[in-house]
Amino acid sequence: MKLETPPFPALSCWRCLPELLRGKPAFLREWIEGSGGFRWRMCLAVIVAGAGLFGAAVGWWRSEAQAVITAIKLPCILLLTALGNAVLNGLLAPLLGLNLNFRQSALAVLLSFTLAAMILGSLAPLVAFLAWNLPTVGSAPGSLRVAHGVVLLMTVLTVAFAGGVSNLRLFQLLQSASANRAVARRILLAWLSTNLLLGTQLTWIARPFFGDPRLPVQWLRTDAFAGNFFEATATAARRVFTP
Amino acid sequence: MNPSVATPPPLPRPQLSSPEPDPADLEPVRGIGGTIEALLRRPGGVLHQLHQSDGSRLVAVMILVATLAAAAYGFIVGTFSGGSQLWAAPLKISAGLMFCGVICLPSLYVFACLSGSTARFVDVAGMVAGLMALMTMLLVSFAPVAWVFSQSTESLVSMGTLHLAFWLIATYFGARFLYRGMARLGARGEGAFYFWICLFIVVALQMTTALRPIIGPAGPLLPAVKRSFLQHWSEQLRSESAKDNPAANP
Repeated sequence: MKLETPPFPALSCWRCLPELLRGKPAFLREWIEGSGGFRWRMCLAVIVAGAGLFGAAVGWWRSEAQAVITAIKLPCILLLTALGNAVLNGLLAPLLGLNLNFRQSALAVLLSFTLAAMILGSLAPLVAFLAWNLPTVGSAPGSLRVAHGVVLLMTVLTVAFAGGVSNLRLFQLLQSASANRAVARRILLAWLSTNLLLGTQLTWIARPFFGDPRLPVQWLRTDAFAGNFFEATATAARRVFTP
Repeated sequence: MNPSVATPPPLPRPQLSSPEPDPADLEPVRGIGGTIEALLRRPGGVLHQLHQSDGSRLVAVMILVATLAAAAYGFIVGTFSGGSQLWAAPLKISAGLMFCGVICLPSLYVFACLSGSTARFVDVAGMVAGLMALMTMLLVSFAPVAWVFSQSTESLVSMGTLHLAFWLIATYFGARFLYRGMARLGARGEGAFYFWICLFIVVALQMTTALRPIIGPAGPLLPAVKRSFLQHWSEQLRSESAKDNPAANP
């Protein structure tokens, strides 16, 4: 990939974060083109902190133990997804028309996860406040069921928002790097598909995150490796649509 | 770019989107009185000073103003029920407002950056402090009206509605200040701003339920039962209409 912009002044870790959020394409390009362990360490730290805080806030609704467990599991899922798909994503980029090397494509994917983690971390206090205000274990079954639904909906919406924004930034980066909207779209779709496939399955295995209040707090369900997310979705759809 | 540099050179301060500010905005904002006057008459001056090196002092003054004004309005709210609500309501309103500002601040900073704003964290903290100071000053100006009503009605729902209306008006002006600040620091688009304002409003409304009773008669300092503000309001409405019409709810 050819660097057309002048190099940026060296930024400390904390000064890089807002620049990544602002998402100026030239800065993002410079970010993945540069070398050094600093970028990896920063991404790792932000994912652990941001996704960890969000996980703790979500899990806190169920119990303090669940908060700790989810705070550990959520960053692990993001990091394992990036790691598991690193080779595949690195192969797909040049195949689809953008000459990124393995390191650059892994850093680009990690960058989008870092942005998502930053957004999730910033929303964690609000999620914790919501969790604090919801009926929890020991409340009437009716209100507990509603509260469980609220936590589920809020988690899905928050993660969707963070994922949407971070992928928009990733698209801007790919577009800037390739100077071709179609190529950027193809690569983004390919990366999204692979990350979605692995990410959903890892999430499925790692459940519970806030948990059904009728079940005990656990690191993993006893049937963690039984079935997968897509089978469960299909089964649920069959139950809805067949009498 | 050398990413491994241990001590990076200082970055230039982010530039305001308006290169030539109004000369009146350049006058320094000093003291509590000066801050109140500047927030009301020349908010541009407050926003300009927030961006200077002594901006954190102005943030502290605005937080002090917001705390004191919220406590003053809380005292008026407490006069409706009297007794221990005279100290509990000011405490809950000022503490609740500060807590609300603190938990909403990180998301505003992230949204500001996502919108392309060059705001630093201290700028955003200052704008939230300004929003809360302006809001609470307006609430204090409504306090005499609120007090007159609190002495002439026994309806909890009427008083709650009145306070809610005053709070929404105050929030509108506070949000206008915040919007101006964001635009000044280069934020593009309005979606993130409106989304955050909605979050702030919902959190503040829920805070009033989480810290209840604030208007009503004193009970335990914090409630034992958790409810959403919508659920709480609808229960208050039902219980008041049952009181008005006992035959309808034997």
